[in-house]
Amino acid sequence: MPESGRTDVFAADGVIGPDLAAVDWVNTPLGPPASWPQSLRTAVDILLSSRFPMWLAWGPELTFCCNGAYRRDTLGRKYPWALGRPAAEVWAEIWDDIGPRIDTVLTTGEATWDEALLLFLERSGYQEETYHTFSYSPLRDDAGAVVGMLCVVSEDTDRVVGERRMATLRDLGSDPTGVRTEQEALAFACEQLNRNLRDLPFTLTYLFRADGSAQLAGSSGGADELPVDWPLAELARDESVLVALDDIGLPAGDWTEPPRTALVVPLRRQGGSPYGFLVAGLDRYRPADEGYRGFVELVAGHLAAGVAAARGYRTQQRRAEELAELDQAKTAFFSNISHEFRTPLTLIMGPVADLRDQFTDGPAPVREELDVIHRNGLRLGKLVNTLLDFSRIEAGRMQAGYEPVDLGAITAELASVFRSAIDKAGLAFVVDSPTLPEPVYIDRGMWEKVVLNLLSNALKFTFDGSIEVRLRTENGAAELTIADTGIGVSAEEMPRLFERFHRIPNARARSHEGSGIGLALVRELVGLHGGTIVADSTVGAGTRFTIRLPFGSAHLPADALADATGSAAVSVAVEPYVHEALRWLPGEQSPQETPPTTLPEGMPAPAIRASVIVADDNADMRGYLTRLLSGAGYQVSAVADGAQALDAIRTHAPDLLVCDVMMPKLDGLGLVAALRQQPRTAALPVVLLSARAGEEASIEGLRVGADDYLVKPFAAAELLARVRANIELSRLRGHHSRWRAALVDSLQEAFFVCDEDGAVVEINAAFTDILGYGADGLPYPPPHPWWPDERTDPESPRQVVEAFAGMLPGGRSGVVIPVLHHDGSRRWISATANSVQDPDTGRTVVVGTFRDATAEHYVVRRETALAALSTSLSRAASLPEALTGALAELRELWRARRVLAAVFSSTGPPELTSVGSHVTWADMPQEHRDTINAVRERPTLSPAGEGTTGIGVALEHPAGTMVLWLDLDERRPLTDQDELLLSLLAGHLAQGLSRAHQIDQHRETALALQRAILGPADLPDGFAVGYEPAARPLQVGGDWYDTVPLPDGRIGIVVGDCVGRGLAAAAVMGQLRSACRALLLQQASPARTLMALDNFAAGVPGALCTTVFCGVLDPDTGTLTYSSAGHPPAILTGADGSRKLLDEANYIPLAVRPETRRPEAQWTLPPHATLLMYTDGLVERRRRSLTDGIDAASEAVRVSRHIALDDLVTAVMARLAPPEGYEDDVALLLYRHPAPLELTFPAESSRLAAVRKSLRDWLTKCELPTQTMQNALVAVGEACANAIEHGSDHTAGAAVRLRAEALVDDLHLTVSDSGSWRPPRPDEAPTRGRGLTLIRALTEDVTITRGRHGTVVDMRMGIS
Amino acid sequence: MATPLTITTSRHQNGPMTLKVTGEIDMSNAAVLATAIEQQPGPLIVELTEVGYVDSAGLSVLFAHADRLEVVLPALLAPVVAIAGLGAVALVHGPQ
Repeated sequence: MPESGRTDVFAADGVIGPDLAAVDWVNTPLGPPASWPQSLRTAVDILLSSRFPMWLAWGPELTFCCNGAYRRDTLGRKYPWALGRPAAEVWAEIWDDIGPRIDTVLTTGEATWDEALLLFLERSGYQEETYHTFSYSPLRDDAGAVVGMLCVVSEDTDRVVGERRMATLRDLGSDPTGVRTEQEALAFACEQLNRNLRDLPFTLTYLFRADGSAQLAGSSGGADELPVDWPLAELARDESVLVALDDIGLPAGDWTEPPRTALVVPLRRQGGSPYGFLVAGLDRYRPADEGYRGFVELVAGHLAAGVAAARGYRTQQRRAEELAELDQAKTAFFSNISHEFRTPLTLIMGPVADLRDQFTDGPAPVREELDVIHRNGLRLGKLVNTLLDFSRIEAGRMQAGYEPVDLGAITAELASVFRSAIDKAGLAFVVDSPTLPEPVYIDRGMWEKVVLNLLSNALKFTFDGSIEVRLRTENGAAELTIADTGIGVSAEEMPRLFERFHRIPNARARSHEGSGIGLALVRELVGLHGGTIVADSTVGAGTRFTIRLPFGSAHLPADALADATGSAAVSVAVEPYVHEALRWLPGEQSPQETPPTTLPEGMPAPAIRASVIVADDNADMRGYLTRLLSGAGYQVSAVADGAQALDAIRTHAPDLLVCDVMMPKLDGLGLVAALRQQPRTAALPVVLLSARAGEEASIEGLRVGADDYLVKPFAAAELLARVRANIELSRLRGHHSRWRAALVDSLQEAFFVCDEDGAVVEINAAFTDILGYGADGLPYPPPHPWWPDERTDPESPRQVVEAFAGMLPGGRSGVVIPVLHHDGSRRWISATANSVQDPDTGRTVVVGTFRDATAEHYVVRRETALAALSTSLSRAASLPEALTGALAELRELWRARRVLAAVFSSTGPPELTSVGSHVTWADMPQEHRDTINAVRERPTLSPAGEGTTGIGVALEHPAGTMVLWLDLDERRPLTDQDELLLSLLAGHLAQGLSRAHQIDQHRETALALQRAILGPADLPDGFAVGYEPAARPLQVGGDWYDTVPLPDGRIGIVVGDCVGRGLAAAAVMGQLRSACRALLLQQASPARTLMALDNFAAGVPGALCTTVFCGVLDPDTGTLTYSSAGHPPAILTGADGSRKLLDEANYIPLAVRPETRRPEAQWTLPPHATLLMYTDGLVERRRRSLTDGIDAASEAVRVSRHIALDDLVTAVMARLAPPEGYEDDVALLLYRHPAPLELTFPAESSRLAAVRKSLRDWLTKCELPTQTMQNALVAVGEACANAIEHGSDHTAGAAVRLRAEALVDDLHLTVSDSGSWRPPRPDEAPTRGRGLTLIRALTEDVTITRGRHGTVVDMRMGIS
Repeated sequence: MATPLTITTSRHQNGPMTLKVTGEIDMSNAAVLATAIEQQPGPLIVELTEVGYVDSAGLSVLFAHADRLEVVLPALLAPVVAIAGLGAVALVHGPQ
């Protein structure tokens, strides 16, 4: 076969193509593919190219050919065998179905269409139920004749089968009848299963009997019991099992052959073994795959659900029947027991009535006991009667006699019976019960019960407001409403309101007594009258009951009608209701006042007195218990409910509590629980009383922490025995803790215990004394009421927080913190605290103590404030400084916004000084000025506050009365202590100001004196001096300096320092200074001068050890001869910054060794060098060597050596000054060489040559370069020429002044005259301006200042 | 009293007249120099090498006759003369 042919025909599919090519086409009618007509080749190509399942048949034998999609979906195991074979052979098993269709196509040339045709294919090794939708269309050869067919097919099996199963499941779930019996449920299911005999040819449903054997309960497909051993073990484990079936004539369902297998599935029960199982015969033509098994499981699930529902229904029905029986039994029991009660009751009440009559004048205790018996007998009788009524109604044996009555009159009469009780309760009572137009048929007894029960109910639950009874005709019926403004009933409780024995838990009520039967009875009774009762209620607003009774008698049984008796009087049955209601109200009987009951015989009196609180809502029981316990020697107080009991116990803890379980507001169990939560009351012995018998009730009581439990009725002796036992036990137990409590209470210091949450749970008596908070308020949860309020006093809480942080374990303790006493006053406490582990609970608690430190605090505050003020005042060197400092200190101390001092001197407005913010008297609001004026009028040192916003005080100021005013932070409360403190501070301030004033005066005197004797008034050229007295204390000192112009033109220089200070030292200094001056004039030798001074000083007391530096300077040459008597060396600083200490002629201070020869040394000062002489105050510092000081002084000169000499003095003084000022006097003397030149000459040009000569000589001393000198000469010459020329305009011969000063780096040349320079005239240019041009060119900086009194030309020239 | 100033007149053969000035020239004696210069018409050499000081008054005299002057200066005076700008109008030079 040519390769090309294969490629051509089969190339479209890479998988099927090779297999087709491998077919031995030569032996088919089609022949080799190469010889195929084009039409066939095209058909094959289309076939192979398509992804839709297709096959074609061609030629006389209808040779088969298909594509990949067909192979996958339909051909199955017949591939590749089928390729090239006759179609009839390939599809032999369905040829009967499809053959005729193919014939039709071939003969007619028309296409066929079949949808979901069932075909049994054998493609998977078995006969398989399949559904296909397909179309056969004709294929024509090249000549147009039909020679084959093309089949396009899609398989629908999954869809068809799936839809069928879904339909079955839907049918099973569509039971329209709801719950029914088990049999019915199964029959319905089987009926549905019968409708799908393809998937389920037959089913059998088995249910397990009680003994575990299976019983056939239903079947479908006509099946019957099968002789098969079902796999019960697997089923019991809830497993499904596939079972093979023998061919035993089973039903085949819709098929011709019966199932070969069956799936057995358990009918599963929620949480139990299966109800039974389903046997489902499986369609043999479908594989038992997951989908099939899942379907059967779902069917089984439906069956199981049906069984479960049926059985559940059956159980409920049975229960309902049982309950009905039980109810009947109960009614019978009530009926019987009530009857049984009535006999003994009658036998009690009768004799009691007799006894009461007999003892009308008998002893009070006996009468009261009889009253109690009588009242409670009535109560019991009422209860019995109500129960009896009920059982009669239940049993349908209620003997009613309905008579027509005036319902308005009867109801009003009944209501009036309750009026006294309602009035007593403080409630308004409105009765609006008019006679109705028609009579109403009622049974009088029953109606009484209806009205009385409702009224009693209203009173019980209404604490304020009103109760209203209204009768009306509404919609043809009598309508009675009884409304109250009581606690109301919540919406959840409303449905059960009329339910028997139902009581609303924890409702606030006047009494917790009652059976919960009243409203139920009312409804029954109203029902018997053919009426209705409804209630509506709002919690907190009230409840309204509305009863409607029809008029006439048509709705009542005819045999129960009676004639009207016409009486409106109430029966005796009313009495118990009113009695009972009255007992709920306060003041009916005060148990405390009743005398104690005689002690039962044989009961020993308690060994120790003990207090007992009795809590019971029943006044009789309360009274009884009180009498009983009082009689036994206990101190008894009684309360009516749990809440009152809790209050009473917290106020004063008793030794024991006897309490009823059932109480309004807070019941006994709740009370015990509340007590146990509080450490203080946790150990209080409690005996619970309850009417509820039984172990469970007592266990509940003991579980919440009761110590004992007594069931009513109890014998008096038993109660007393238990009370006594519990108290003794508790005492034994509490011995230790009482000891501790006694110890704690005896502490002088306040004691407290905080639990983990910070709540104070225990305190002692001292705590209450100091803070005013008592044990009755325990526990005090944080924030504790005694902490200062953050809103009014933001500072204090911060202190508290800090103090508490410190108090925590490991922190400091004993801190003083502010607190608020219960009365609102401020206290200070010194507290310590520690955390400890509670040994019982393991929890950490904080135990602390504190004492009242208020007095101490104020003392400390006062002392601190005074000390701070004193320090501030003592530091001040002047009066204004003292005042400002004191104000700042006061502001800090009082945390004031502003502190103000107004000093009223004799005239004018006061002078204000303020700290905090600036203010002037003029700017101040008039109101404030008035306030300050008012304070001024007050006696001094008597503070006056203005609310909490400010406080002021007047005091004496040296200049007049001063008002001190503090603008306080508005939230700071002011106390007496504050005023006292301010008064003290003001007094102190007045003294301080007075002292500062004296200091000011002393200082002025001292400075004047010092300056007067310190040194010469006029200094020679080239010198500058400085003097600074010691900062504190201000006294005249012993320092001096002197310059002495000597006859030979030289200058004597002296700097000295006498020992000591004050006037004595000053006197010594004055003598030495004069002596030295005289000696210098004589001797002109420093050494000889000092030696002479040694002798002189020896004769002057206090002059010993004076130190002196003495020198003689030749200002022309700069030669300095010097000698030092123990004085620190003069410091010479060169133009280049180099330093030379003149220390070569130093010897001991004056007068130590008179007649000893002193050394003398000489040194030539280079030009521009600066000489510093000083007293030791400049360089001496505590804890520093003198060398350091001298170095520092040298450095001070060095860095500032470029500036003018006068400025240098200030710079050196400032640089060396310690922060707090000089401790000792400082004198210093500076000389810069050469001394400046100063010349004054008449404004005449003839003087110019001489001026130039002097200037040239001075410049030579400055050792300047020739050209620089020349420049200076010309510049000065030009300036002088101008001065002469123009300065003489006004005054001929007026003086011209020349000053030349050599600084380190530059020359400072000044020429001044008394005239004014004429501006240059144009005709004079350029000659006239040439001089100025020269000056500008030759100097670095020139300033010409023309003033009214003359012109100054200021010139600077660099010289370095 | 005016500042002392000595002025001598001399002439090189066939050369211009030379005025040799000795001393210091300032406003007190500038007129003396002016008179001396005015007395010598025509080109004139002013020899200032022995002058220690000259100010603007002296320079003004020189400027007044600049076009016919040759000024011989010592180094000391050169900066002042240069600043005044005399070199721009007169022949100015140092000692030969």
